[in-house]
Amino acid sequence: MKLKFWRNPVLLPLVLVLFGLLPNSAMALGEKSTEPYIRTRTVLWYDVKWSTDKVAVNDTVTVTGKFHLFTDWPDASNRPDLVFLGETTPGASMTRVETYIDGVPAAQSTRGLELGSEHEVKLVLKARIPGRWHLQPELNVRGAGPIIGPGKWIEITGNFADYRNSVTTITGVEIPDVQTYNIGRVQAWHLFWFVIGAAWLVWWLRRPLLIPRWLATKAGRDDILVTSTDDKFGAGLIVVALVATVAGYWNITQEFPYTVPLAAGSNKVKALPAEPQPATFTDARAEYDVPGRTLRLYATVTNSGPRPLRIGEFTTAQLRFVNRGLPAEIKNVDPDYPKDLIAPTPLKIEQDTPIQPGETRKIYMEATDAAWETERLMSFLNDIDTRIGGLVFLFDDQGKRYLAEIGGPVVPVFAKTTQR
Amino acid sequence: MTENDAAVLSAAGMSRQAAIWSRKFDILVIIVAAFFVASVVYINFLLFAGDWDFFIDFKDREYWVVIYPIVQIMMVAAFQAIFWNLFRLPVGATACAVMMTLLVWLERYQSWGGLSYFPITLVAPSTFFAGALILDGMLCVTRSFLVTGLFGGALFGLTFYPSNWAFFAPYFQPVKLMDSVVPLASMIGYEFARTGTPEYVRLIERGTLRTFGSPVWVSVFFSTFVCILQYLFWWLVGALAAKAAFIPVGYRFKQLYGTNDTRPSAETSSVGLNAKTTGGVA
Repeated sequence: MKLKFWRNPVLLPLVLVLFGLLPNSAMALGEKSTEPYIRTRTVLWYDVKWSTDKVAVNDTVTVTGKFHLFTDWPDASNRPDLVFLGETTPGASMTRVETYIDGVPAAQSTRGLELGSEHEVKLVLKARIPGRWHLQPELNVRGAGPIIGPGKWIEITGNFADYRNSVTTITGVEIPDVQTYNIGRVQAWHLFWFVIGAAWLVWWLRRPLLIPRWLATKAGRDDILVTSTDDKFGAGLIVVALVATVAGYWNITQEFPYTVPLAAGSNKVKALPAEPQPATFTDARAEYDVPGRTLRLYATVTNSGPRPLRIGEFTTAQLRFVNRGLPAEIKNVDPDYPKDLIAPTPLKIEQDTPIQPGETRKIYMEATDAAWETERLMSFLNDIDTRIGGLVFLFDDQGKRYLAEIGGPVVPVFAKTTQR
Repeated sequence: MTENDAAVLSAAGMSRQAAIWSRKFDILVIIVAAFFVASVVYINFLLFAGDWDFFIDFKDREYWVVIYPIVQIMMVAAFQAIFWNLFRLPVGATACAVMMTLLVWLERYQSWGGLSYFPITLVAPSTFFAGALILDGMLCVTRSFLVTGLFGGALFGLTFYPSNWAFFAPYFQPVKLMDSVVPLASMIGYEFARTGTPEYVRLIERGTLRTFGSPVWVSVFFSTFVCILQYLFWWLVGALAAKAAFIPVGYRFKQLYGTNDTRPSAETSSVGLNAKTTGGVA
């Protein structure tokens, strides 16, 4: 009779073992799984730059950028009272060398960030594993999780075997490679214990075992199941374990008398000096045109500054919708910025004329791109508060850029509406 | 075969031929039991202790020292009870330690190194071998779960930290990282970043406790007391499991399981009934 695959006693275990042993590379980083209310209304990244997109093993790549903490922070996630700056890469393909928030070293967590504030970050990373890796800055917010910034593909060239990571301790001990340091001692101790444990098991397993011992136990013959020789071996086991523990501890404390506990603490930073924000968006609301994959924004904008302003860009969840009719905005877009994060369809603005000083105007914008779907952002329609937010970049007639928040409720529509 | 082996076989009423087949049965069961023990111990640890032993920069002075031993002693005590009550084998704790060691090193190299490129120094595992050997030795010598629980359980908690510090101490040498003094372990954790593991999750150490010397020994002694209680409770759980009775498997179950395609005829049923009533020999 022909055995079915799943009943084959050899093939099935073999397949399972192979599945378990073959390593696979993880490429996805999970940013699309983050809820839209977190991606659009918490940490809004902008001006993110990568020093290079091709780097050799042991060389560094520097990521700089800024983030704005959105004022209409969702109630569903914790506020940024305690944060930690990091980066997102698949595994340890790069190692972190230095991180800064507003110029302050950020090896530890940072507290004291306030909503509505702007902050500057810098990350220096050292290339380790050759390959093509997606690199993104991220801000971990306690209670809200990692909030990931825009990502760029970085190619690491060279050979992993050339990677070096050495350090000298404060006490003068030179550590040639932190990746393997002291691991021989760890394994030697594990092996030492393992050999004793295996000897103890063999001591018992070599005898008539399960059925005979079970029957003898039921017959009440404990006297022959555990003998006086076993007692001696058992007592010796206790002595060896205690002596090895005490001797090992004493020896290591003599060899390394000065050790320090794990570092845990937080820094406090001061937000960047507040830039003037002459434009204010109020009464904002939005519609998401489901078949047209378009976000329609309705708002009232007031220019309280001294110079006329034009809208150059709407950005949210790392997506940038650019007004291609505004030269200052075109200049604002770094040509090396990841193309997949810039919508090919320009930001459409009704009455795209300068907003004069003191003027209050109703505006209507359309941000169209398939990314609303592919980035899984339209699930904001399932969020508990169905709101959206983002940043608007405005430019005065001298090309100076200003930021303004925009945000409000969002409603799905399945046809073009005339409600204005 | 030693004199003692012959005495055991004699007490069991087994012939030489039966003993040979029994030995083959032992080997099969040992192979299956090894995987079972490994899985149960490791899954139990993942469920209750989670990250506390994954990373070198999680081996702190308070939680690691407490959580690791009081979680590991759960299945250790349960398996000791099963092996002892059924077979008078004082090997449950050592079997857990041996299988956990094999599995954890495989997992650290395969998953953390092979799949995620983390260096082995970041994920070097702890061990509870010292405590496990003491527990088995004590059960063997005293033949009492109560004495083993009180003294062996205490030593299980007490020996965990010093037996691991013997090889982890070098990772706690001070180094300079961005103008701060941190142990090498923290530096390794900072450099080899884990996306979902920010530094603030380690803001756990509270209080000073310097009155008692280093805070770590306060944790060790707390762990010692909890280990005693854990041992006694989980021994009883294991003893209960050792009382599991054979449940007769009916035709319907066999059919669902795919091991029997034919319904037994009235005749074979009758033979089976007769076999049962005549002592199981048909």
